[in-house]
Amino acid sequence: MPRIEPESGKIKWYKSDGAKSVYASLISILIGLAVGTLVIIIVGLLKSNISPKGIWDGVRLVFLGVFSTGRTDGQLTFGFNPVNMGNMLFRATPLIMTGLSVAVAFKTGLFNIGAAGQYLMGTMGTLSVGLWLGWSSCPSWLAWICAFLTGIVLGALWGAIPGLFKAFLNINEVITCIMTNWIAANLVTWWFDVHEEFKNAAEGGKVGYIIPLKNVDVVTPKLGMDILFPDSQANGGFWIACLIAVLMWVIMTKTTFGFELRACGLNRHAAKYAGINDKRNIVLSMVIAGALASAGGCLYFLSGNTEFYWSTYMSLPADGFNGIPVALLASNHPIGVIFAGMFMSTLNIAGLQLKYLTAYNEYIANIIIATIVYLSAFAMFFKMLLNTKRKKAKEVQIAVTTEEAKPEIESAETDEAAAEAEDAVDDEEEGGQQ
Amino acid sequence: MSEYVIEMNHIRKEFPGIVANDDITLQLKKGEIHALLGENGAGKSTLMSVLFGLYQPEAGEIKKDGKVVEIRDPNDATALGIGMVHQHFKLVDVFTVLDNIILGAETTDKLGFLKKKEAREKVIALSERYGLKVDVDAKVEDITVGMQQRVEILKMLYRDNDILIFDEPTAVLTPQEINELMEIMRGFAREGKSILFITHKLNEIMAVSDRVTVLRKGKYIGTVNTQNTNKQELSNMMVGRPVQLEIHKKDAVPGETVLDVRNLTVPSKIHKNDAVRGVSFQVHKGEILCIAGIDGNGQTELIHGLTGLEKASAGKITLCGEDISNASIRKRSRAGMAHIPEDRHKHGLVLGYTLEQNLVLQKYKEPRFQNHGFIRFGEVRKYAEKLIEEYDVRSGQGPITIARSMSGGNQQKAIIARELDRDEPLVVAVQPTRGLDVGAIEHIHAQLVAERDEGKAILLVSLELDEVLGLSDRILVIYEGELVGELDPKHTTPEELGLYMSGAKRQGKEEKQNA
Repeated sequence: MPRIEPESGKIKWYKSDGAKSVYASLISILIGLAVGTLVIIIVGLLKSNISPKGIWDGVRLVFLGVFSTGRTDGQLTFGFNPVNMGNMLFRATPLIMTGLSVAVAFKTGLFNIGAAGQYLMGTMGTLSVGLWLGWSSCPSWLAWICAFLTGIVLGALWGAIPGLFKAFLNINEVITCIMTNWIAANLVTWWFDVHEEFKNAAEGGKVGYIIPLKNVDVVTPKLGMDILFPDSQANGGFWIACLIAVLMWVIMTKTTFGFELRACGLNRHAAKYAGINDKRNIVLSMVIAGALASAGGCLYFLSGNTEFYWSTYMSLPADGFNGIPVALLASNHPIGVIFAGMFMSTLNIAGLQLKYLTAYNEYIANIIIATIVYLSAFAMFFKMLLNTKRKKAKEVQIAVTTEEAKPEIESAETDEAAAEAEDAVDDEEEGGQQ
Repeated sequence: MSEYVIEMNHIRKEFPGIVANDDITLQLKKGEIHALLGENGAGKSTLMSVLFGLYQPEAGEIKKDGKVVEIRDPNDATALGIGMVHQHFKLVDVFTVLDNIILGAETTDKLGFLKKKEAREKVIALSERYGLKVDVDAKVEDITVGMQQRVEILKMLYRDNDILIFDEPTAVLTPQEINELMEIMRGFAREGKSILFITHKLNEIMAVSDRVTVLRKGKYIGTVNTQNTNKQELSNMMVGRPVQLEIHKKDAVPGETVLDVRNLTVPSKIHKNDAVRGVSFQVHKGEILCIAGIDGNGQTELIHGLTGLEKASAGKITLCGEDISNASIRKRSRAGMAHIPEDRHKHGLVLGYTLEQNLVLQKYKEPRFQNHGFIRFGEVRKYAEKLIEEYDVRSGQGPITIARSMSGGNQQKAIIARELDRDEPLVVAVQPTRGLDVGAIEHIHAQLVAERDEGKAILLVSLELDEVLGLSDRILVIYEGELVGELDPKHTTPEELGLYMSGAKRQGKEEKQNA
């Protein structure tokens, strides 16, 4: 809650910590896009079937894919494309949810790499309950709610497992998360393997998939998305994801519960000392993370027109892992996650446009995403660079602030410098002995 | 030949945004013990790092025997005969004493085998010559801290260093060991070795040094002959204003029992034995009871068992008439316990939180600061501003300063403000002045005495003898997890206290039962 003081005017909004996080993410994104452009150019030059114009088309699609309106007379055209736009929002929905899952866990000091497994558990619960209730005489709105809640509860329980291991046995959550991911993948496969009724046997060649929920009319209402983006897959799930993100932001920053969770994340020992039940909070934050990730799966399949390939024991859903870069790009800010999720899905759309409209394939987009993922880990580093710049500027500021505060700040920094000096001595010594 | 073996003239060292050393001059005579005195952050460590070749100064020169030298790295320093004993020892725990001493300076025969026999003879000769008793074949993890320090000293001697830097060497020693160390240092000086002695303890400076150089906030204040000065003058130079060295307090008027501990046993995290074994004591209203002992004798575990940070395996704790033996940390604290923790970074503060968030770390759930689970930021801010004002906590941006960016002294002040403002009948203060400078220590001592005079019960744990003897009304000495004696600070001496602390003396069991 480092709030900006309007009356003192010490920190302008564009110099605040939050703003620097945004700059750092933007730097990562720009470098990622630059690398993508470079790959497009190199691939274009190496491949004989791509002309210089083809390269130019590819570059434009990487940046503006979501605004592409196809080709007219061999020329790419750009403009507002409601289908692309809507699909972008639709694909962003699960990314926002898994991103939130990772971000909230991060804020509480945990690395939730288990979003994929939680997502699968949510998918399993939602599809099963949705179909069961859809076949029964249950009203479809009630079926929707039950399906959604079942998915979330399953994901929450799945998230609780690494939380419990971490809190009571101090086993690193990364390890347990990876294991629970694969357990989930096999469990889901087994579940649908033995339940023949869920398999889509009615359509030819679709037996590997689960019956889409639109067949039983348990689907998320459009909530105006069909008017804004006609013919696209967009639905009210996006609004629900945004609402959950805002809710998480409020919980994390405005409530005593969030205060406890973050205190545990920043310093478990101090939280314990202050009387906060650190074990309970670790479990709870994993439960929340699990519920959020599974909500991503629920919303994605409750759209109705998505089909779930149930034999998933060999692979984990990409959306689960893409939550990590989304959270990193957003500096773990719940509201930032909305935009980061939208950006990631924009790249997805751009990849598809490349595939349909040029000789390139959609994997170029994956290279860009991968580069950004890689660089998003550097986002912290970029932020640090921005910080050191500000530190120098701060010196000037100190000179003009009150005389009273001055010596205190100086001595604080002298302490730091002295500590640094000591550390350096330690390091050198150790180096020398080896 | 110059009068000085080492001269550091007009040294200036800058770090981004700060001048750590500003025009500092230090001249070390051959065969003298030269103390370097200054508060935390005064630039002592930086200056020594410059001498040791870890930093290159922006301005100034270093002379050895009158000739300008350039020290680019610690190897250059070693080549010039400069050695250093660090505050935290640099020893390999699982190596023997001998292996540790020769590590990095091994001599080998033609085939590359270690010539351990020769090294062993040299180490034993050195240890006998200077009275540095060590067991060369013992593993470092098995020997006492005092002996580990002697190993560090032997490391310097083994490398034929004749300029020896001691960085706060007495922090971990008992009074007897301190006396021994000083004797050893005097012996070195007689041999013609020169010693730089970094410290902020005035007693030791008066006892052993020939001259003192004082630094303050990166600036050179002056160099004085120890003979011509006194503790008061030195502390004034160090802090920059007159400092009250003696703790002035009225006699204690102990009242009813606030805390009653019976047969408390706390298991150790490190070894199989219990760290605290069947400890019983009471703390009364209006008294400061001090648990004294050498670090690692169970104080930490005793406090953890008392405050609930760790589970006690046996015993009964009664606070203000309420049995809290198995209560949660929050229940204990609500029952009337304020706790100034030993490790302010680990337990005391959430460093990533702002100052105001840290100030309400236990209180955020009170109705005053929350409304149906939503934090009342306005109230938090108001409360934080009140505490900051009352306890003079200084920081860059007031309530919204990130705790990490505050100086150690002000972090401690923030913790003390938070704990004392809770106004609980029992205050558990563990090393409340650790790592703080004289000015801050003076302030904190006065606050603790004021709390006592208001009728609070104060349980103090301290490793500093001056603090133990000056602040407390009653002293319990802990040795290897047991209370081995109760002393009256008015009628005891540091030496007597030291004997109890080192386990050489203990009050008999019969005596304890009679008491």
